[in-house]
Amino acid sequence: MTLDLSRAALEQGRVLDVEHLDGGLIEMTVALPLLAHRVRPGEFAQLRCSPAVTPLLRRPFSVAWTDGEACSFVFEVVGAGTRLLAAMRPGDTLDSLGPLGRGFTLEDVVGPVVCVSGGLGCAPFPILCRALRARGVEDIVVLNGAATAARLYPAERFRRGDPAIEVVEATDDGSRGHHGRVTDLVGRHLARAAAVFACGPNPMLATLAALTAELSRPETRVEASLEAPMGCGFGTCLGCALPVRARGGGSRWALCCADGPVMPVRDVAWAELAELPPPNVA
Amino acid sequence: MSAPPVAGPVDLGRGLVVQNAVGLASGTAGYGFEIGQLMDLNTVGALYTKGTTPQPRPGNRPPRVAETDGGMLNSIGLQNPGIDRVVDEYAPVFASWRCAVVVNVAGSSVNDYVHCARRIGDAQGIAAIELNISCPNIAHGMDFGVDPAQAGRLVVAVREATSLHLMVKLTPNVADIAAVARAAEDAGADSVSAVNTFVGTKLRRDDGRPVLPGGTGGLSGPAIRPLALAAVARVCEAVRIPVVGVGGIVDTDSALDFFAAGCAAIQVGTANFVDPSSAARIAAGLGARAQESSPRGVLAETSRW
Repeated sequence: MTLDLSRAALEQGRVLDVEHLDGGLIEMTVALPLLAHRVRPGEFAQLRCSPAVTPLLRRPFSVAWTDGEACSFVFEVVGAGTRLLAAMRPGDTLDSLGPLGRGFTLEDVVGPVVCVSGGLGCAPFPILCRALRARGVEDIVVLNGAATAARLYPAERFRRGDPAIEVVEATDDGSRGHHGRVTDLVGRHLARAAAVFACGPNPMLATLAALTAELSRPETRVEASLEAPMGCGFGTCLGCALPVRARGGGSRWALCCADGPVMPVRDVAWAELAELPPPNVA
Repeated sequence: MSAPPVAGPVDLGRGLVVQNAVGLASGTAGYGFEIGQLMDLNTVGALYTKGTTPQPRPGNRPPRVAETDGGMLNSIGLQNPGIDRVVDEYAPVFASWRCAVVVNVAGSSVNDYVHCARRIGDAQGIAAIELNISCPNIAHGMDFGVDPAQAGRLVVAVREATSLHLMVKLTPNVADIAAVARAAEDAGADSVSAVNTFVGTKLRRDDGRPVLPGGTGGLSGPAIRPLALAAVARVCEAVRIPVVGVGGIVDTDSALDFFAAGCAAIQVGTANFVDPSSAARIAAGLGARAQESSPRGVLAETSRW
């Protein structure tokens, strides 16, 4: 089946705001009307960090939020591309290609829904929570983990004024919320959950996959947003291969940009994924 | 300097007439189905498919791409669905497109290439064969491209197996690219395309080990353009058959460099990943330049680079 790119568009947007939050998190808001109207939760845009030839490739970012014609992206400086993005000012022009990829599956989701966010994995959840609420889901909990309190994406930015969205926090160093991994918090929610949506580092996602395989009901939808070093973002360069389970055993390569970034966790070959070097997001 | 023939149709020989001089390079456009949703394939002259082998190939272990200054390294490993699927399922779709579809054929033995050429036969929708004797990411595939005698024997064998236009894609990773180009011409190639990627590597800063599991990959993008241009100029001097230039073209000006070197047509490669409308803009830009008195006229299209 050919990848459907009918909603993807090249678009030049004006930067509206670049907020530097605590802990190095940055939330950038850009006027991108086509992307704002077309994007679905979990889909991403390929942003060009500079009109020059270095850095050459676009960088993939989940859309975190939309407001009218504005789209927000959450990131931190990890290399040359994100350094250029972080230095942008309101009024600057940003070149976007999107929306791209497969987002979260929202059809037929009722609730309760558990969102599991690790570090910068927070990015797709504000827009996802809003979409779930718009579909009538009333019971949403965001389990948000980070290394330290400063690096926690603020709870209010998941809720965006909606008190029905509960946020529970965890930090590796115990500086806020549960002292430990965010996956420690998952267990007690799984028996009731109709859907679990996750985004974060691969080890966190692998732990979650194991937990849900053991504790959640068979009909519970469990999906994770993954990442991989990406060339084009639209299924053409074949650069962003990830191991997934093959029918009949073993694993095969899927493309993060075209088959993902969101995949059912039971489809991912977690052991093989763990053997790969972490995504070089620089 | 007279205006290079860059606007309008180009006759590359043996029935391969492209509606304009701009093509999408192999490996940067798949089989057209994805990029064709992001740009209008009817605005370019040719689409050169992903390298296609007799059997499907799963591709290499990731990471497969690594960014470098002004370029990227890739080691995809010729992931492709195999020639049967391309001929049986894709070619009927190609037949409805105005751009010529040139199937890039790869292999590790003479038999592999001959098999693919025969399988293509005279399938509707496939305008020509580009012989990939230069993929740096699979064992043996480049042996043909670095030795003029072996390249010649391969081209003779495929020439006997097809009546389609036969283009030979040259590797720059060779002491004397002109000698390989001449060998391809003497063996019956209708054209050559130059160049494929340059072998390169990127080392991790933490432990000094290669980013790509195979150690090296193929370098593409604007970083290679001066190297590609020098190699292409040598090829243009060495052969009388048409030369299709490729290597770091990102806009109309950089395309014109290759026509100035003597190319009959060009391919846009890595730029497609960054801006899938690149080739369409270049085709339009070349058309606009041809209307001017000088091929280097000042009325450039708005470059996004």
